[in-house]
Amino acid sequence: MTAAEPRSCCAEYAAAGISRRGLLRAAGAAAALSTTSVFGSAVVSTSFAPPAFGAVRPAGRVLVVLSMRGAVDGMSLVVPHGDPAYYAARPRIGIPAERLLAKDGFFGLHPNLAPLLPLWESGRMASVHATGLAVPNRSHFAAMEAVEDADPGSRERVGWLNRLIARDAYDHPLRAVGVGTSTPPTSLYGARATSAYRDVKSMALAGADGDQGPRRRRSLQTMWGGVDGPLGAGARSAMAAVADFGPVRAVPEQAQHGATYPRGDLASALAGVARTIRGDVGAEVFTVDHGDWDHHSDLGTLEWGSMQKMAGDFAQALAAFFTDLGPLADRVTVVTISEFGRRTRENANYGLDHGHGNVMLLLGAGVNGGYHGRWPGLTDSSDGDLLVTTDYRSVLAEVAAARLGASPAQTFPGFSPESVGAVSSL
Amino acid sequence: MAASVSSRRALLRAGSVGTGTALLTALPATAEAARGPRKKSGKSRPKRGKARKRTASSAATLHALSRFSYGWTPDLAREVTKARSFERWFDRQVTGGYPDTFYETSATWWPSVNAAPEEIWARDKAGVETMWDADANYQRWVLARRIHSRRQVLEVMTELWENHLHVPARGEGAALFRAAYGKAVRSHALGKYAELLRVAVTHPAMGVHLDNAVSTKRAPNENLGRELLELFTLGAGHYSEADVRDSARILTGLRVDTWKTWRVWYDPESHATGPVSVAGFTHANGSADGQPVLRAYLDHLARHPQTARTVARRIAVRFVSDEPSERLVAKLARVYLDSDTAVVPVLRALIADQEFAASRGAKVRTAPDDLVATYRALRVQLRRPTGPEAAANAILWQAGDLGTYPFAWPRPDGLPDHAAAWSSTSRFLASLRVHLNLAGGWWPKQDVKHRPHRAWVPLSRKRRSIRFDELVDHLSEELLGRSAPRSLVRAACQATGLKQRSRIDKDHALVKWQMPHLLTVFLDSPFHLTR
Repeated sequence: MTAAEPRSCCAEYAAAGISRRGLLRAAGAAAALSTTSVFGSAVVSTSFAPPAFGAVRPAGRVLVVLSMRGAVDGMSLVVPHGDPAYYAARPRIGIPAERLLAKDGFFGLHPNLAPLLPLWESGRMASVHATGLAVPNRSHFAAMEAVEDADPGSRERVGWLNRLIARDAYDHPLRAVGVGTSTPPTSLYGARATSAYRDVKSMALAGADGDQGPRRRRSLQTMWGGVDGPLGAGARSAMAAVADFGPVRAVPEQAQHGATYPRGDLASALAGVARTIRGDVGAEVFTVDHGDWDHHSDLGTLEWGSMQKMAGDFAQALAAFFTDLGPLADRVTVVTISEFGRRTRENANYGLDHGHGNVMLLLGAGVNGGYHGRWPGLTDSSDGDLLVTTDYRSVLAEVAAARLGASPAQTFPGFSPESVGAVSSL
Repeated sequence: MAASVSSRRALLRAGSVGTGTALLTALPATAEAARGPRKKSGKSRPKRGKARKRTASSAATLHALSRFSYGWTPDLAREVTKARSFERWFDRQVTGGYPDTFYETSATWWPSVNAAPEEIWARDKAGVETMWDADANYQRWVLARRIHSRRQVLEVMTELWENHLHVPARGEGAALFRAAYGKAVRSHALGKYAELLRVAVTHPAMGVHLDNAVSTKRAPNENLGRELLELFTLGAGHYSEADVRDSARILTGLRVDTWKTWRVWYDPESHATGPVSVAGFTHANGSADGQPVLRAYLDHLARHPQTARTVARRIAVRFVSDEPSERLVAKLARVYLDSDTAVVPVLRALIADQEFAASRGAKVRTAPDDLVATYRALRVQLRRPTGPEAAANAILWQAGDLGTYPFAWPRPDGLPDHAAAWSSTSRFLASLRVHLNLAGGWWPKQDVKHRPHRAWVPLSRKRRSIRFDELVDHLSEELLGRSAPRSLVRAACQATGLKQRSRIDKDHALVKWQMPHLLTVFLDSPFHLTR
């Protein structure tokens, strides 16, 4: 698509026969030809041609990264009932062995994860325990950054998922999507275009109805076509994403295959992910942030407290998601991650302070079900942590390589992953 | 920044002189310069300036106001003109020279804002108003203040500290104390950080939020003890785990009877006695009343060189750029320590620094900043709310659409203030929605005054029509405080389908029904979305 700069700024495009996408690209090209102007501190010059995004490429396999913000207590979700120190350290909030689900000689699942049992029993759900950052970092913010940047030593602020989608030439903002958020996670930061939406409905350009549409898009392209920096990139991504999002809007909003989502942010976000996958607009990576799991107090017991409630909501939402996907579930893998785990010993407030090792869960396509990871043994002391025996990057590298064919060396620079065995090879 | 507000082009140009940093030499420093190329095609442009009173500020003043207010308005520009320079205006702002009437009046718009904790609790239990609503009302109040308060610098600094010493307003236990907490922070926002820190850390809102209210010597809860070191003072990497444990021990004793009576008291029985050592602070801590130790500990932290850096950086990120230089942070930290943690001298040093002058437009407006600046730019007037649909109440749903309610950030580190966090497709599209809705005056409509669309077009008995490009320039000055660069004129033409030379009279379709689509061009531009 080529376009000459219109003679007058107000000349109408002969829009007939030009697709929305074509028009956008044409407007982008026109903007690139304009003379120097200044947006804030960004200089827009004639020599700079903003990259235009091509048509969407249908996604094959899909990876959903679910971040459990605030540092979830993995030992409440996947309980090491075979370690006597667990019950000694948690006399009040420890989960009784007889109440656990999918119990083997050592581990068992929180009873409120029951909605996920069908997945577990069909071998499509795995846990990897004692994972995390190699070095303890008890700061939520520093740990989250480290986990999602996943490139220690580099000063560049590029997230691992942005490196993942940079593994081939296909660049489109709908390739990686943060759902349910306006402030995307660090894992998505980087040069490759990404997008974010709070819900499907909100992925729309205001004031672009009817005749106003082409005008509105050209006007925005003139203002944002060559603006440097994250905001300019975000604006261009937004316009491209909206233009190519039609198939998702066309997907009925109702959940399919008899799925019933519970109420809540996580369920809404996952319903949006399912609908977007169904629309097939080339999205292969989704991030969903869910919190707050920072249970310094009132984590509680099976009868009361935050954990029993949140574990139940979490399981119901994920179970509904896989039901909703139906046959598409064969393409979708979910991995959960948290910035760190919590202390072994309970505190005086029915809660747990910041710890180190944690559990990661994998669900869906390609998962090699069951309990994985090497258990280091717990110590019942006031500052005793679950030690980390598996670098979290080994788990992510395995799923990214096996499912999406990503190179671990490119996705996690300078890191040599070890085999975890939680994902079947190609 | 000597030339504060100009009604003359010459002054506008003068405003750009003397800021010759590396960045600025590469840039046309003013909107005027950026507009240069238009002259090529605008040969027949009529002479102007006589007929129309100009409202734009000098580039330097516009920049300073974009950082130290919630958005330029003609009224604000007049206020600066009257004060004779930005610096004098700033002096009057930090010394209480402008009335605080709006703060007082608007505090009575929502009963919960001035209610005692027990009253908020009783209202929640009686089903009159939930704690969630009490927090929502607090959020509405701060948005209203940011829009209308004449104490703009105070409001800007209050927000900075409330994000720094973050207590989320999310309808949880802290809701009973949240408005009181905000008021307490505000009363120290232009004072000394040492006092602010003490007030914030010992406040029941903070205690409830970070679990200190239930922490006892039996097994001290580390939540507040850690965030105090990491977020409020020394920063990550500058404390040890042993420091965290002693920090938590020093803080024990400050109790709140949560979810029962909400009584606030100091309990010597809960205080963990015995020697403590945190980041150079040591104390025998032998007495059951740990309050003197706590006071000494917080004083020590507030004056720690590492805290000086944390505070200096927080301020520089807000007012200068996402990545302030090491030099600037070190300089501001020095001022902070030299002035015994007083904040205003730090702000003055920042304003005088060339890095500040060189950072024009370098900040992306956060979503809440955008919302407030849009109300201000469009001169939408909130009135005392009389129902749930009132603008002063509904504004919160607009904030929600933009991605965040004020002070509802779910993590203890407070709202992020860097470009990457506010550049998502989601935020951009939501901003466009909110701009258009307000530009149209379509919603909210109750207890609010929107400026009539006709009022934006400067027509009179003598001047019955205006050229479109002149109108665009006029609107740019009225909404953004600067004349319109070429790109904006082009974008306005494209958005409306009009030509530069189209003549607009009072019956023109633009005036009758197309104004929202024109007004939103300015709000959707990089000039409004950055500051």
